[in-house]
Amino acid sequence: MNASPDGLGGIAFSNVTKRFVTPTGAAMTAVRDINLVVEPGQFCAVVGPTGCGKSTTLTMAAGLDSPSAGTVRVSGKQVDGITKGASFVFQADALLPWKPVIDNVALGPSFRGVPKKKARAKARDWLQTVGLTGFEDHYPHQLSGGMRKRVSLAAALINEPTILLMDEPFSALDVQTRAIMSNELLQLWEKTRPSVLFVTHDLEEAIALADKVVVITAGPGTVKAEFDIDLPRPRGAVQDIRFNTRFLELYQQIWQALREEVEQAYARSARIETRKEGAA
Amino acid sequence: MSADAIDHGASARKPDAQVPVQLASDEKTLAAAAQARAEKRRQLVLAGQVGVFIFIVAGWQAAAMTGVLDPFFFGSPLGIVIRLWDWMLNGTAYGSFWTQIGITLEESILGFVAGVLSGVVVGVLLGEISYLAEVMGPYIKIINALPRIVLGSIFVMWLGLGLPSKVLLAAVLVFFVVFFNAFQGVRSVDRNLISNARILGASRLQVVEHVVLPSALSWIIASLHVALGFSIIGAIVGEFLGAEQGLGLVIATAQNTFDANGVFGAMLVIGLIALSAEWVMAMFEKRLLAWQPDQSRENTVQGL
Repeated sequence: MNASPDGLGGIAFSNVTKRFVTPTGAAMTAVRDINLVVEPGQFCAVVGPTGCGKSTTLTMAAGLDSPSAGTVRVSGKQVDGITKGASFVFQADALLPWKPVIDNVALGPSFRGVPKKKARAKARDWLQTVGLTGFEDHYPHQLSGGMRKRVSLAAALINEPTILLMDEPFSALDVQTRAIMSNELLQLWEKTRPSVLFVTHDLEEAIALADKVVVITAGPGTVKAEFDIDLPRPRGAVQDIRFNTRFLELYQQIWQALREEVEQAYARSARIETRKEGAA
Repeated sequence: MSADAIDHGASARKPDAQVPVQLASDEKTLAAAAQARAEKRRQLVLAGQVGVFIFIVAGWQAAAMTGVLDPFFFGSPLGIVIRLWDWMLNGTAYGSFWTQIGITLEESILGFVAGVLSGVVVGVLLGEISYLAEVMGPYIKIINALPRIVLGSIFVMWLGLGLPSKVLLAAVLVFFVVFFNAFQGVRSVDRNLISNARILGASRLQVVEHVVLPSALSWIIASLHVALGFSIIGAIVGEFLGAEQGLGLVIATAQNTFDANGVFGAMLVIGLIALSAEWVMAMFEKRLLAWQPDQSRENTVQGL
């Protein structure tokens, strides 16, 4: 494996700061001096308290947003406009409700000019891969949350991305479905091996899935610590790996780093709450 | 996916599949009873509707015959039927009655199509290009604030008594209804859907075609019902203001000759046209929005 972040699929944030101007005109810093490297083919999970700017890093890697300072490089090229070779899985489904499942999956190829028939054949293959054969002509609203997630995964992977950006993709699912989807994601990832930047607030999920877990501080977010996850691959069922002693050790270690940030973020939101109540 | 994961789904679904089998007879009787209740209710409503119709028509006829209502000013149901029959057999002063209906229909349909097309195009353009929306905003508000019926007088002056002035008036009425909805629809498209399409490789035009337009379509279609009514109003009012043919002119003439039955008869015909247009519209809407969840018939697949 090519270890340089400039290889195909590598992601490198150097000194990235992102500021927003809120609708009221006040400036606000979402992330500050982020330095983060994802090697080609690496599965990197980003954990941090709510509102620390985790999602902002993803949108910058996708090219939907540009940094206020610093640079984001993907596959050795500075991100400028939509990143080539990237796919994004959103927290909420980004499926088009007016297109049947097969056409939703075929969107990527057909946007890139692949003839409709060929794009559909490819979509059919991907639906089979995610276990949804027979649901080609259903509309998204006719599927359960887990099935919709699978469609989203197929739609993201059909473009054969070199980087896969995932923004709390399973947080809207129930616990059992979530575990099954995590297993499926790992299997798909091991087949095609894109680099993954996976944002979550669930530390267990992060450790079970990733090669590397990055802890982000309470907003404005910056990298607090990085942990290499040396659990063997293939990992097997994520439900079982939680009882592995190495898993528990890693969990303890990372939780130490994460706890302070979560508490700080909570204290801050609690202060805002009491201030609001005081004002009211 | 792995056989393991599929097995999970299958074994999880099995118990669900068995339960309805045990309850089937109970559910069947329950469903049958509910259906019977619904059918009875439907019949009762229909009977009520027919009753109200008979009460009004018979009451009106009786009032006209006994002189409670002066038939000269208020007409009578029988008089209306006779007047319509006469028009159909012998035609009106401007040619056959069917021609009058045809002319008004033609004006309405042309105005409807022109208004909808221009409303959608301008609405999508302004919705997509915010600079354009900000520049044009005040002007559109000014034109919208005008009572648009008075525009009809100008159109008759410009385009004469023929078809074009009515089509233009109908189109202007339709345009604003459709435009505001199309604009709002484009503005309220889910940003995630657009971001996702862009990442998947869509160009700006492809985003409009595959994401923005279909998303705005439910807004646009909602406006078409009102627009349809407006297109008929536009044509009739245009004919009222000055025409050589059409149902509006028939009404105007009936009014000038104190022919109450004529006014009511033409009104009835216009009402029937509007109702059937509404029916066609509903079919069209059902086809276009087939992807939307049907609340009355939930067919969500359970499980993963």
